Amino acid sequence: MKGARAVVELLEKQNVEVLFGIPGGVLLPLYDSLVDSDMRHILPRHEQCGAHMADGYARVSKRPGVCIATSGPGATNLVTGVATAFMDSSPLVALTGQVATGVLGNDAFQEADSFSLMMPITKHNFRVTDPKTLPEAMKRAFLIATTGRYGPVHVDLPIDILQAEIADTDMNKEVRVPKPRRNLAGLLDSIKLLEQAERPTILVGGGVSWSRAGPEITRLAELLTAPIVTTLMAKGSVPENHPLVLGVCGMHGRQVANYALNNCDVLLAIGTRFSDRVTGRLSEFGAQTKVVHVDIDSSEIGKNVKGRVGLIGDAWTVVNALIAGLQQRKKRATWKSRILELNKECSCDFNLESNPIKPQKVIHELSKLLPDDAIVTTEVGQNQMWASHFFKCYGKRMFITSGGLGTMGFGFPAALGAKIARPESVVADIAGDGSLQMVSQEFATAMENDIPVMICLLNNGWLGMVKQWQKLFYDSRYNATNLGGSPDFVKLAEAYGAQAIRVDKHSEVTDAIRSGIKSDVPILLDFTIDPEEDVLPMTPPGKSASDWIKGRCQWKGGGE
Amino acid sequence: MEVIMMLTYDQPGVMQRVMAEFTRKKINVDTIVVGPCEMSEKSRIVISVRDRETALGVIEHLRALQEVIEADIVDHRRHEAYAIMLSRDGVCRVTGTVEEVESLIKKSQPEKYIEVVNAI
Ligand SMILES: Cc1ncc(C[n+]2csc(CCOP(=O)(O)OP(=O)(O)O)c2C)c(N)n1
Ligand SMILES: [Mg+2]
Repeated sequence: MKGARAVVELLEKQNVEVLFGIPGGVLLPLYDSLVDSDMRHILPRHEQCGAHMADGYARVSKRPGVCIATSGPGATNLVTGVATAFMDSSPLVALTGQVATGVLGNDAFQEADSFSLMMPITKHNFRVTDPKTLPEAMKRAFLIATTGRYGPVHVDLPIDILQAEIADTDMNKEVRVPKPRRNLAGLLDSIKLLEQAERPTILVGGGVSWSRAGPEITRLAELLTAPIVTTLMAKGSVPENHPLVLGVCGMHGRQVANYALNNCDVLLAIGTRFSDRVTGRLSEFGAQTKVVHVDIDSSEIGKNVKGRVGLIGDAWTVVNALIAGLQQRKKRATWKSRILELNKECSCDFNLESNPIKPQKVIHELSKLLPDDAIVTTEVGQNQMWASHFFKCYGKRMFITSGGLGTMGFGFPAALGAKIARPESVVADIAGDGSLQMVSQEFATAMENDIPVMICLLNNGWLGMVKQWQKLFYDSRYNATNLGGSPDFVKLAEAYGAQAIRVDKHSEVTDAIRSGIKSDVPILLDFTIDPEEDVLPMTPPGKSASDWIKGRCQWKGGGE
Repeated sequence: MEVIMMLTYDQPGVMQRVMAEFTRKKINVDTIVVGPCEMSEKSRIVISVRDRETALGVIEHLRALQEVIEADIVDHRRHEAYAIMLSRDGVCRVTGTVEEVESLIKKSQPEKYIEVVNAI
């Protein structure tokens, strides 16, 4: 069997349903073999978007998404998408073509050192230079992507390897990768800390989304009477309509969530890397707090927050072990009532009825109207933070966003991948006008492949988030943030054959969203929003919670 | 000084991947010794860095690498020293723990010792 055929067969054996790829010279053998395969192939209009689609698919299906790019520019275009997946621990298998091994290293046409380029942004990567190792590399790629902490794996495939003969014995070789070590030596200490806590709080991170430990964590929170706060990446992993779930914390988080984080005496942190967007200034973060840190990745324990009890294992297993070990149950009535009361205070009404439309109003209506199994993706910027702050995620709803890398242009292609993974759900990308222009060519992909997603464009005419920082921290000296020359987005969508509605008045918001939900073709809702609206409240970068900027926020609960 | 010892697969790209972890963590490596070892298709990489905190900050990242089979911070008592001395029979080599080698040098005529390498 030839290498190209072997790759197709190895993908099929992994039960891959869909590939997102753009061919090129060195990939011709592979694309020829794909003609005879039943796997669905989606042709994005840019490799970066192919990777984001595979990523969106992976985040919904919890299985590796597969993307393909040719050598040289194909591989370099793929880099942003792979790095995005890496930062959010999303399992991808990224395949790139490569020039023949005989000329590798000689600056051949369309040669780039993809192996080196991908190395720091993948969990692992392979450059296959010997046909004997092709099957093993492919099999290990899938295993590594989904063993322990998930992540992208890249396989570089020179054209002569795709043309070489692959022996059956090599195809049939079994492959294993080491399981991550578990270390629960600190379990008893952790349980004691949690039992003795007066004001315990649970911080959950993206690891919990991947290990689907939400229900167990909610149970543990009830046993401990501990509020749950989430990072941006964990939004949706625990139900935001549960009384103990306070929502997203951090720079643009809900104040009650930050309150719990800053005023707890014992923090149980699960599957989070303590990003600077969560902690603010690290030296001040939880100076008096005892931290129990649970992570599947031993290199995270003590990386950002030092000297704490670490439990190494996957969230689901460790949380079940904690539940099993808990003996005493304190009522913690004061802490509970304080939290519940503050949470009420933090639930302002953002049904803002004014023109120009306030972005919060759009998210408020989306939160009310989208079905309980809807998937929301976001772009990056103010749109993302409004979505994170005001959209309520519960039931089978999912929230998919580029949290780690913050990649503009992620949301639209990720929505397409998500819709392929869960076609029965409404999928909405909450978008910004700057971000959408980075990937708007993917309307063609959506149309060609009948992927009816809804884009809710919060059109403020600016690179809004950067403008906000120029306003707040650089004395309103706006530079390179106004998006002059933007297209008429309604016409742009229509040019591809998609549906589009412009929404200028707050009174039209609900009807537009209802049409979006019902639409069975890709649809763009172009909400003209107030360009002066900022994302507030906000804890400025490098500052601690007490330095927050308030805006419309009614929060009084800090009590400082 | 702290010494990190790794057992790795012996193939192109391993050094690049290992060193990338040091680069990312802004660690200036003091010494590197690397070569194939007693096991076939495996290498040992021995790296020394300035202090314990530095070593602890990178060790788990090294362990997470697929091509790194083992990575450990070497116990101080196991730091091996190596000396070349002049003796009655000409130049001879002495190896052992740091303490052993140092006491040997002291016991013989120190002025006759040529070089001591305190690395691994
Ligand atoms: C690819 C990329 N380039 C630049 C940035 C820096 N950046 C962060 S937010 C932002 C503005 C985003 O504008 P838009 O999509 O219109 O969203 P808004 O903030 O206006 O809602 C920029 C430029 C980024 N995150 N990603
Ligand atoms: Mg904008």
